[in-house]
Amino acid sequence: MDNGRLNVVKRAPRRIPVLRSEQGPVLVGLLPILFLGFLFLLPVARLLMLSVEGGTLVHFHKALFGELYLRVFYDTFKIAITVTLLSLFLAYPVAYVLSTASPQWALIGFLFLMLPFWTSILVRTYAWMILLGRNGVLNQILVGLGLVREPVALLYNVPGVLIGMVHVLLPYMVFPIYSAMLRVDRDLLLAAEGLGASSLSVFWRVFLPLTLPGVIAGTALVFILSLGFYITPALLGGGRVIMIAVLIEQQVRQFLEWGFASALSIILLSFALLAFFALNRTAWRRTA
Amino acid sequence: MSAIGVLRCSLKAAAIIATCWLVPAVWAQEPPKPAQIVFNDSGGDMTKAMREAFYSEFEKRYGIRVVTTSPIDAGKLKAMVESGNVEWSVTEIGPEEAMLAEKQGLLEPLDRKVIDLSGYPEHLQDRKFIMPKGVYSTVLGYREDAFAGGNGPRSWADFWDTKKFPGPRTLRDSPVDNLEFALMADGVPPDKLYPLDVDRAFRKLDAIKPHIAVWWKTGAQSAQLLVDKEAVMGSAWNGRYYVAIKNGAPLHIEWNQGMIKESAFVIPRGAKDAYWGQKMLALITEANLQGIYANIITYPGLNLKSMDYVQADLKQFMPTNPDNLPKQVWTDAKWWLENGSSAQERWSKWILAQ
Repeated sequence: MDNGRLNVVKRAPRRIPVLRSEQGPVLVGLLPILFLGFLFLLPVARLLMLSVEGGTLVHFHKALFGELYLRVFYDTFKIAITVTLLSLFLAYPVAYVLSTASPQWALIGFLFLMLPFWTSILVRTYAWMILLGRNGVLNQILVGLGLVREPVALLYNVPGVLIGMVHVLLPYMVFPIYSAMLRVDRDLLLAAEGLGASSLSVFWRVFLPLTLPGVIAGTALVFILSLGFYITPALLGGGRVIMIAVLIEQQVRQFLEWGFASALSIILLSFALLAFFALNRTAWRRTA
Repeated sequence: MSAIGVLRCSLKAAAIIATCWLVPAVWAQEPPKPAQIVFNDSGGDMTKAMREAFYSEFEKRYGIRVVTTSPIDAGKLKAMVESGNVEWSVTEIGPEEAMLAEKQGLLEPLDRKVIDLSGYPEHLQDRKFIMPKGVYSTVLGYREDAFAGGNGPRSWADFWDTKKFPGPRTLRDSPVDNLEFALMADGVPPDKLYPLDVDRAFRKLDAIKPHIAVWWKTGAQSAQLLVDKEAVMGSAWNGRYYVAIKNGAPLHIEWNQGMIKESAFVIPRGAKDAYWGQKMLALITEANLQGIYANIITYPGLNLKSMDYVQADLKQFMPTNPDNLPKQVWTDAKWWLENGSSAQERWSKWILAQ
């Protein structure tokens, strides 16, 4: 532990000049800053203003102390974390196979990966209903083969939501990991092997650390996207799984209570930023 | 007073005088015709029926193209009006949201010199902001093959009776209608529903909760769940069951104790071409056009004469059909306007409680 921290301190000063030379002239940076300021900071500032309109914190009080909303925030994070981990475990081998496959096979693999990506999210969600339903394709096969006597409840519960969300989000995990794997110098693996490392330790000590930036980028993407998920959990959860985005939407569109909706959004945003910074710090430490 | 102040005052006075003189002159003739107006509706089959019945007639009569957008979204309406960038000339809107929008000052008043509601039921004739479009009903439906010999559930008390009528059920994921259904199942007479006894309703809902396979979210889902045999009975908006029946599904609509409500059209405050929006609404009140619309999608209009234009074989599917209307209960949108938000919060808590 002490050793690791010492490493960070020792290496930090070396990074700074590198960063500066990458940043380039200030003028070039100004444009993106203006762009982000207008399109992101300004709306977020307006959101913040809305949430404390009338100079009261009543909306925040309701969101943080009413039993419903904290519970839903908790559920939302639990689902987002589960989806992220599931996607990671599925995406890593997929990305590995794609990165080592011949160009033709890689193309076919990407086609399969992208095909659902180009399909409307609503269509995909309804497709899952057909596949996973009580009288759906999968249950008919299971019952027909005599593997189960009663149809299995795969839909309208948490597993259904997880299946649907992982399906939608998988490409976001595969692509960053895939591009990190492409950048790995395969000679390093050969060198490690030549020096007598077992294939397991080549993976753990050479390949995995080198692909970690991709893993972290994919994890951040999938985690933050799943925090805001709305239509998939609403439909595949059968109404039993409530994500915070559903409650925000209700306040915005059904009750026209924008102050409260803003307070909920600001809280979600703060949690997401916290998670993002935590991830970013780990990434920094690992790659430094 | 500074020179600029004087100038500003006299300019203002001049403007006021000019307006007083100019306005009647402008209003005497119609405002110039735009190339198009934008009508925001629920989309899907609804848009197709609206085009066949109303939009095409409007285009023919006035030579103004009707462009449609969807879905209906009270939040977007509010955003448009508050930012001053209103792209809709007319929009459909849910009954509770319409009243909220009126309360928050988001609507253009109806021009009652243009829109004639004399063919409508008396209690709707004094509308100032919300134009009653038509009615729909949340009704009980079931699979005929699940209950032999036409012995299906006939009331919400039957729906709650899982011994006599076994099988998974589906209801909408919303307190609207479900609180009313629970109270009627618990023996509250339909004319004594309001104000709703929310505690009693949730107590009764506890009993049915384990038997609900799915809490549906979208209209398309509600009927599809019965078609796919995910549930043997459920609630749905009447038109959704009709479409499934038309496509051959063995479903039965039970009109008894359905919750009937009106859907509405409004003109957003500050809408471009609001005058032509008013003209559009005026056209929608016409009985024969409402009849054409009902024949396509079984959502009848509120012009009472429109029933004369409805095909005989379709009348059984209309909530306003004299055989069906007395069996149903009118939703009290005012109660939901005042209590909807707190009822929804309690509903979400109740859904999450295991």
